Amino acid sequence: MTLLNDLTSSLQRLGLVSSHVRIGVTGLSRAGKTAFLTSVAANLLTRRFALAPLGAGDVPRFDQARHLARLAADPPAWPERTDSVSLLALTTSIQRAALPARHVRLEFLDYPGEWLIDLPLLAQDFSAWSAAMLRRLGVAGMAGITRDFLAFSAGLPARAPADETLAHAGAGLYRDMLGRLREAGMAFLQPGRHLMPAPGPEPPWMAFFPHTGQGGLHDLLASRYEAYLGAVRRDLASPLFANVDRLVVLADVLTALHAGQAAFADTQAALSAAAGSLRWQWSWLEAFAALAELRLPPRAISRVAFAATKADHVADRQRGNLAALMRSLTKLPATGVKTGHFAIASVRCTEDFVWTLEGRPVSAVRGRILGQRAMTRSYPGEVPDRPPEAGFWEHPFLALPQFEPMRLPDGGRLGVPNIGIDTLLEFLLEDVL
Amino acid sequence: MSQTARGTPRPPDPGMPAPRIETEDLPAARLEHVDLLPERVPRQSKRWGMPALVAGGTAVLILGAAGADACEIVADLFARSAILGGAAAGVAGLGFGMIGLGAWREWSSLRALRGVDAVRAALNSRDPVARADAARSWLHELPEGPALLPAINAINDPDAILALLRAGPAASLRLQAEALGRNAALQSVAGVAAMPSPGLAALFVAWRGLRLIRQVAVLHGLRPGVFATFDLFRRTAMAAGAVAGMEVAANTAAHALLSSPLLQHVAGEMAGAGVAARRMIVLARAAAVACSPMPPDTK
Repeated sequence: MTLLNDLTSSLQRLGLVSSHVRIGVTGLSRAGKTAFLTSVAANLLTRRFALAPLGAGDVPRFDQARHLARLAADPPAWPERTDSVSLLALTTSIQRAALPARHVRLEFLDYPGEWLIDLPLLAQDFSAWSAAMLRRLGVAGMAGITRDFLAFSAGLPARAPADETLAHAGAGLYRDMLGRLREAGMAFLQPGRHLMPAPGPEPPWMAFFPHTGQGGLHDLLASRYEAYLGAVRRDLASPLFANVDRLVVLADVLTALHAGQAAFADTQAALSAAAGSLRWQWSWLEAFAALAELRLPPRAISRVAFAATKADHVADRQRGNLAALMRSLTKLPATGVKTGHFAIASVRCTEDFVWTLEGRPVSAVRGRILGQRAMTRSYPGEVPDRPPEAGFWEHPFLALPQFEPMRLPDGGRLGVPNIGIDTLLEFLLEDVL
Repeated sequence: MSQTARGTPRPPDPGMPAPRIETEDLPAARLEHVDLLPERVPRQSKRWGMPALVAGGTAVLILGAAGADACEIVADLFARSAILGGAAAGVAGLGFGMIGLGAWREWSSLRALRGVDAVRAALNSRDPVARADAARSWLHELPEGPALLPAINAINDPDAILALLRAGPAASLRLQAEALGRNAALQSVAGVAAMPSPGLAALFVAWRGLRLIRQVAVLHGLRPGVFATFDLFRRTAMAAGAVAGMEVAANTAAHALLSSPLLQHVAGEMAGAGVAARRMIVLARAAAVACSPMPPDTK
C-alpha cells in the first residue's frame, strides 16, 4: 500500500492528478476547534487560497465568515459551540516553471467534540461499556455529582422489567450528571450526544444509560445502545472519517491542569481512547469490504498533529513545556504515522510581559478579559513538561481568564493573529504544498 | 490593582513566586498585533503636469481677456445707454454662463470617473464594511440595482458580495456592452466599404470608436464630456491590455459577426474592414472594463 501511496504522491507532485486532502479537526469539547478552523481559513485566505465550492455533498459549509465577524466585532465574541458537522473547503493553484500548475484542495472537517468521544463506543458492546462507565464514575472523585445517578443505578432490581418510565428517569439522571461533570472539567463523557444532541427531534433510542444486570430493562437499554451505535457509525464513522487522511487533535490541557487531578486523568483517558479508535492503518479487510459495496477503500491517516490550545494564556517560555506535555499525553501505537506536537493559540488574546512578583521577574501574559476595559495580568503557574506527579495537585494551576481576542486588522481579512498555526500547517501539509 | 483570581495558592517550587491573576486599575485599549497591520503607504501629492499647466494658463488668459473685454464693452454701453448696457450684460452673462455650464459638466463627468475609481478601490479593499457600502452605492446608480439591495444586505461574506455583483449587474452590463461593440463593428465594416479613401476610412473608424466608448460609458451611468472622453480613452487603452483572452474572444466574435457572405466579401475585399470590426469588439470590452467599478477577477 505504501507503493500505491508513493505513486499517488508522485503523480500529484507532477500535477497529473489534483491533490485533494481532507483534514479532520477533532478534539475534546471546548478545545477550540471552531476558533482553530476560523483562524486557519482566515490565514490561508491571505495566501492565495480561495474558498472552494462544496458541490452537491451532504455536509454543511463551515460558516467561516460568521465566526470571523464575531471575533472581529467590537466588542468581540468567541464562536458559538459546534452543534453539527461542517466542512471548510479551500483551494489553490501552485504555479511551477515548465510544469502544469498544481491544483490543491484542502477540506477541513469540524464537528462537535462530544461526538469524538463516541468513537471508542464502536468497539464495545453495551455490557462492557456499562461496566467500564460505572467503574469510572465510582472512582472519578466527583461523588457529589455522581451520587444521585449511582444511587438510582444501585437501587434498580437485578432483573428490572422493560419499563419506559424507568428508562427515561435513568436517562434523565444520567444526562444531568454528564452535564455537571462537564462543567467540573471532565472530558471522557459517553455517550457524547447526550451532551450535544444532533439537530432535530430526539429519537427514542437516545433514552439509555449504563446498566449492568439482566432482564427486560437491560435488554431495552442494550437495544437502544445498539441503535445509538448505528447512528454513530452512519453519521460519523462512515461518510466523514472514511476520507480523512490527516488529523488535528486539539485539547485544552491548561484548563484540565486547573480542574484538578481527576479531570486531568479523565482528559488523558479521553485523548488516549479517541486517538486509539481512529483509523491509523490501512486495512485489507476494510478495503475488500468497501470494494464489495462498490465504493473506494477508506484512506489511512498519514499525519496527525496533536495541539494543546490556548497557549497564549502562558508566556512564551512555558509553551515548550506545554507541547512536551501534549506529547506525553498522546502516545500512539507504533504505526509509522508521522506525528507532531504543538502548543498553539488559534486567536491570540494576550501579549507576553515580565512581571516582577515578590521581587523576582517572571514571564507572564496580559490581555483584556471579555467585557472589561482594563488589562488583566496572568501568571497561572508553571506548566509541567510531563503528566504531573501527586505533589503538583496540592498547588493547582489557576483558572484561565476568558480573554478577548486581539483586534483583527481589517476585520480579519489580513489574517488572524495566532501562535503556532503556521508551524502546525507546515507539518501537516509539507508534502502537499 | 484588584485581585480577580480565586486565592493565590503556594507555588510548587519554593523559589518561584505564587501564581496570580490581577486586573489593572486603568482602562486600556484592545490589544493589536502589530505584525499584521498593513503598511501605510505615503500618499503621493498630485501635481499638475506641464501640458495641464500650459492648457490651464491659456484658458485662464483667453477667458480672462474675453471677460475683461466684455466688462469694458458693457461698461462703455452702460455709459451710452442703460438699455444697451443691460442688453450687453445679459448677452455676456449668457455667453459666460454657457461656458461655465460646459465647464461644470466637464468637471462633473471627470468627478464621476474618479468616483468609479473610488468604488472600485472600495470593492477591492479588505474592509468588509467599505465593500458592502460601495456595492450599495453602485447598485443605487443602476436601473435594476435596487432589486439586489436586500440580497446584499443579507450577505455577511464580503467575497460573496463581489460574486453576486459579478454574476448580476456586472454580467448584464458586459453583455450589453458587447452588443454595442457588435453593432459598432458592423457599422465599421459598412463605413470602411463606403469611404472613398483610406484616410477618410481611418477617420471614420476613429470617430466610431470614440462614439462607442461614450455609448459604453452612458450604459454604465457616466456622461463623459470632451476631457472625460479622452481620459476614458486612455483608461480603455490601458484596460485592453489587462483583459485576459481579449484577442481570442475578439477573433471569435468577429468571425461570428462576419458570417454573412456579403460582409465576408466586403471584409475580404476592403483592406482594414475586418481589423476595424475586431477593434470595435475589443474596444467595447475594454471600455466596459474601464467604466465598471468591478475589480478584476483574479481567480
